[in-house]
Amino acid sequence: MDKELSYWLALAHVPKVKTKRKNEIVVRFFEQGKSVIDFFHSEQSSWKSEFDLTDSETQLFKEAFSELSNYAFMVEDLLEQGYNILPITSKEYSPTLKKNLGRSYAPPVIYTKGNLQIMKEKSIAIVGSRKANDNSLTFTDNVAKKASKEYKVVVSGFAKGVDKQALDSALKYKGQSIIVLPQGISTFKSGFKKYYKQIIEGDVLVLSTFYPKAPWSVQLAMARNPIIYGLASEIYVAESSDKGGTWSGVMDGLRKGRTIYVRKPNPIEKNANGLLISKGAKPVDDLGNLSQY
Amino acid sequence: MNRQHAEIKLKNTFGFDLFHDEQWETIDLLFQGKRVLLIEKTGFGKSLCYQFPATQFDGVTVIFSPLIALIRDQVRGLNEKGIQARFINSEQSSEENSQTIQDAINGKVKILYIAPERQENQEWLDATRRMNLSMIVIDEAHTISVWGHDFRPTFRRIINLVKLLPNNLPVLATTATATKRVECDIEKQISGDITTIRGELIRENFELFVIKVSNEDEKLLWLGENLEGIEGTGIIYTGTRVNTEIYSRWLEFMGISTTEYNAGLDSDSRKEIEIGLMENRWKAVISTNALGMGIDKSDIRFIIHTQIPASPIHYYQEIGRAGRDGKPTKLILFYNKLKDDKGIEEDFKLPKAFIDGGRPSIKNYQKVINALKVEQLGERQLMKATNLNQTQVRVIKADLIEQGIIKEAVYGRSKKYEYQFNAPELNTKAFDELRQLKLTELHSMIDYVNLSTSRMEFLCDYLGDSTHNNYRNCDNTSLKPYSLNPSDSITNKLEEFRETYFPELSVESKSSNIVNGVASSYYGVSTIGAALHRSKYENGGDFPDFLLKLTLKAFRKRYGQEPFDLIVYVPPTESGDLVKNFAEKLSRVLKVPISHSLIKTGETKPQKVFKNGYLKRDNVSHKFDYSNLGEIAGKSVILFDDIFDSGATIKEIGNVLTRLGASKIAPLVIARTVGGDI
Repeated sequence: MDKELSYWLALAHVPKVKTKRKNEIVVRFFEQGKSVIDFFHSEQSSWKSEFDLTDSETQLFKEAFSELSNYAFMVEDLLEQGYNILPITSKEYSPTLKKNLGRSYAPPVIYTKGNLQIMKEKSIAIVGSRKANDNSLTFTDNVAKKASKEYKVVVSGFAKGVDKQALDSALKYKGQSIIVLPQGISTFKSGFKKYYKQIIEGDVLVLSTFYPKAPWSVQLAMARNPIIYGLASEIYVAESSDKGGTWSGVMDGLRKGRTIYVRKPNPIEKNANGLLISKGAKPVDDLGNLSQY
Repeated sequence: MNRQHAEIKLKNTFGFDLFHDEQWETIDLLFQGKRVLLIEKTGFGKSLCYQFPATQFDGVTVIFSPLIALIRDQVRGLNEKGIQARFINSEQSSEENSQTIQDAINGKVKILYIAPERQENQEWLDATRRMNLSMIVIDEAHTISVWGHDFRPTFRRIINLVKLLPNNLPVLATTATATKRVECDIEKQISGDITTIRGELIRENFELFVIKVSNEDEKLLWLGENLEGIEGTGIIYTGTRVNTEIYSRWLEFMGISTTEYNAGLDSDSRKEIEIGLMENRWKAVISTNALGMGIDKSDIRFIIHTQIPASPIHYYQEIGRAGRDGKPTKLILFYNKLKDDKGIEEDFKLPKAFIDGGRPSIKNYQKVINALKVEQLGERQLMKATNLNQTQVRVIKADLIEQGIIKEAVYGRSKKYEYQFNAPELNTKAFDELRQLKLTELHSMIDYVNLSTSRMEFLCDYLGDSTHNNYRNCDNTSLKPYSLNPSDSITNKLEEFRETYFPELSVESKSSNIVNGVASSYYGVSTIGAALHRSKYENGGDFPDFLLKLTLKAFRKRYGQEPFDLIVYVPPTESGDLVKNFAEKLSRVLKVPISHSLIKTGETKPQKVFKNGYLKRDNVSHKFDYSNLGEIAGKSVILFDDIFDSGATIKEIGNVLTRLGASKIAPLVIARTVGGDI
C-alpha cells in the first residue's frame, strides 16, 4: 500500500483538475481491478481513450508523472513524522466523509495524525461564528456534552469561538474529537504540542485535506468547511451571521441535501439563525433537542 | 544505448576505453530503469557504474554515501573531467550546502553526493520536491541491513524512500562487503525487481599475518622495533580512542613519525590528517576505525590492528582500503591471548564489552518511553528528563523509531520525539537475536586468529564468495610468521616512556584564561585508578606518595620552571580533605602558596552521577565562588583536582577565576578518565 502513496499524492495534487475528475479516474481504474500505479504507468496515449482525459488534463498528469520521485521524498518524510496518508480507496479513510461528499467532493487523499478509529464512530459537527455570544457557547457546550455521553465524536474546525468551544467541551467531557485544519498538516506546530496527550491517548485525530506544507489562508479556511460537514453524521449550528464561513457552509450543506440543526435564537439576538431555519434548517433548543418553530 | 555507443562516450568523457562485463551489465540495467545490487571488491570500479549513466541522464543523480573523504576526491576528479558534480555534507558551511542545493534545483548539477544523515534535514527534503531526479545510488549499502556489520539508523529512512520511489526510477546499491544474509536482506529491503551482481573478493596482493602476544606491552614493543622495517606508510587501528594517543606518543618517543586520528577530533583536524596521510607525512596514522573507509589512497602499504575487529566482515572492510595499487601489502593483526582467572582471553574482552554495552538496558528504554508519554521532547530535553547520555539516547530513540513506538516530528527548526497512539510494546527479542548474531561473528573472528589454513580463503568464504582460487600469501601458507623477541634496550625504552608520558587536558576556550592542563596518568590504564579508588571510597587514607611524585613529574613536564602565584584546589563533594591535603603537599614541594578561598556556593552532586554533559554542566554551573577577591586578580594559578572526567568542573572554575581577574589558570590533576561524552 505504501508503495502507492507517491502516486496518490501526484494524483491528488494535480493542479487545476477538479476533485470530481480525479475521483472518476480512481473509480475507473478501481473497477478494472487496477491500482493508481497501473494508471500512471499505462500508455499516456490511453489516458484519453480509457479515462476520458482531455489534452490539457493529459498534459497536467504528465507533469505529475515526472514529479513522482519528488513525491516519494515527501511521503517518506510525512510517514517518518507520524502522519498518516489515506487514499480514498483505503480501509482507514472516513466512511462518513466518503458517503457525505461522494464522488464529486470527497478528497482523493486525506492526511491525519492520531487515532484513525475515531473516523469510524458516529459524529457531530458544531459550527458557528468566531465571535459567538454566550448563548451560542453554552449551546455548544451542551451539545458537545450530550455527544460525548453518547460516544459521538465532535468534529471541530479549530476556529475561534464555537469551533474551539466544541473541541474544548468534548475533551472536558472525555469525548473524542476530530480537528479539521484550515492548513497543511505539517504546519500545525502549536496544536500538536497543545493536544499531544489527547492525540497519543487516542482522543483526538487531526485531519487536513490540503498540501501538507500549505500555510493557513482564507481560501483554505473556506475550503475546509465542507470537509467538516462531510465528516459529521449530524450538523449543529450555534450561531451564524448572514454572510461568511458559517453561512455559506450551511447553505452549501442544505443544497447538498444535508439535515442541519440550528439553535433557535432568542428574539433579541442579532444573527441569521432564524433566516437559516426559514431556508430549511431544523430548529433545536438550547440543549440541542428538536423544537417546533 | 548499446555498449559500443556507450564506450565511445566513455572514452570521450572519462578517458577509459572499455567497461568490464560486469560494469556494463550493471549500467545496461540502470539504463532500463531497473534496480541493481552490486557487490564488488574495492578497486573494481563501482563508482563508474553510476557516474557514467549519471552523465547520460537528464536530471540529477543523488548518491547517498557516508564516505566524506572519498567523495571529496571523487568530486574533484569529476569536475576536472568537466562533469558537474557536487557534494552536501558537514565539511561544507551551511551556505555552501544551500548553494549546492539551489544549483541542483536549477539543473546545474549532474552528480550530487550527499551524506545519509541529510535525509533528516528539512532544507534538503524541501529541495527534493523541486529537483529533477534521474537516479538514486546507495553507497556502502551493507549499512542498510540490520544484519550488516555497521547498520546505521539514518539508512532506514533511505530504505523507506527507495520503497516509495516510482517503478521506473533506476536505483543502484553498492558494497564491497556483504555476506549472503546481508545480500538477501538488502534485496528484500530495496524490494521491487532487483538484480544482484556479485564479483570475486580475493585480494591477491594482500599478505596476512596474525601476531599472538601475552601482554599489552608486547604489542608496543613489537611495533617500536619493527614498524620502521615495514615498507611504505600505513594505518594502525587501535580499539579505543585513548590507545590512539598512547600508541602515537610511544612511537613518537621511539622516533617514528605518527599522528593520532579519532572521532573526537574536529572536522578541520581530521581533514588535515587525511591530507597528510595522502602525502605520506607520517609513517603511520594511529586511528580508531573512524578513519579509512573513505580514503582514496592507492598505496597504503600496511594496516595493523592492535585489537581484533568485531567480525571477519569488519576486518575485511577495514583492511580493504589498503594496497589498491595491487602491490604487496601487509595486514597484521595482534591478539593478546593471555587468559584471566575465568579463562577469558584478554583481547576477547573489549569487543565482547562492545557487544554487551551495545544496547542500553531495557529499564532505560522504558525511561524514554515514559518520558515521551507525558510530553513531546527534543533530544536535549530527553537527555535531561532521563539522565541518559547522548549516545544512549540516540541508540534508544533509533530502536524505538524502528519499532514504531515513537516518531520524530519536525516543527519549523525544532525536532520533537512523539509517542505514538496505539504503539506496540517494546520488542526485546529483536535485540537478543542481534546480540546473538554479533557474538557468533566475534567467535568467527577468533577462528580467524587461530586459523591454520589460508587466511584469505577464510575471509572470502565468510563473505559468501565461494569461488576457488589459489589462496596463499599468509603466515599459514607461503609466508614466514613474525616472531616476538624484544631486546632489552626497547624494554627499557618502554619503561622510560611510561614515566614521562602524561595525558593532556583540553579545556582552552576563547572566553577563559584557562590553558590546557595535564594529568599524571589515565584513570584506567595503570595502577593509579586503583590507588585513587582506595583512598576515596575504601577509607584508604591520603593519596599515596607515589602519586605525588608522578603528579610533580607531570607538572614539570608540562609547565617547566614557569612561576605560579597560587595553588587553588577544587572543594570536595564527598571525599573529605583528600584533595586539600594533596594540594598542600604540592604547595610545599613547589613552593607555591596554597589558597583555601575557592568555595562552593551551592550543593553539587558527584559528577559521576550524571550521565550526560548537559546535566554535568548544570550541576556545577554558578556553584563556585572565590572568597578572597583581592588575592586572585592578576594572578597565575595552578588549579588542582584529583580526577578529570568531562572537564565541566574545571572549565566552570576557569570561568569564575577569569571573571575575577586571574591572568592564567593551569589545570593539574592526578588522573584523567576516558570517554566523557561531551
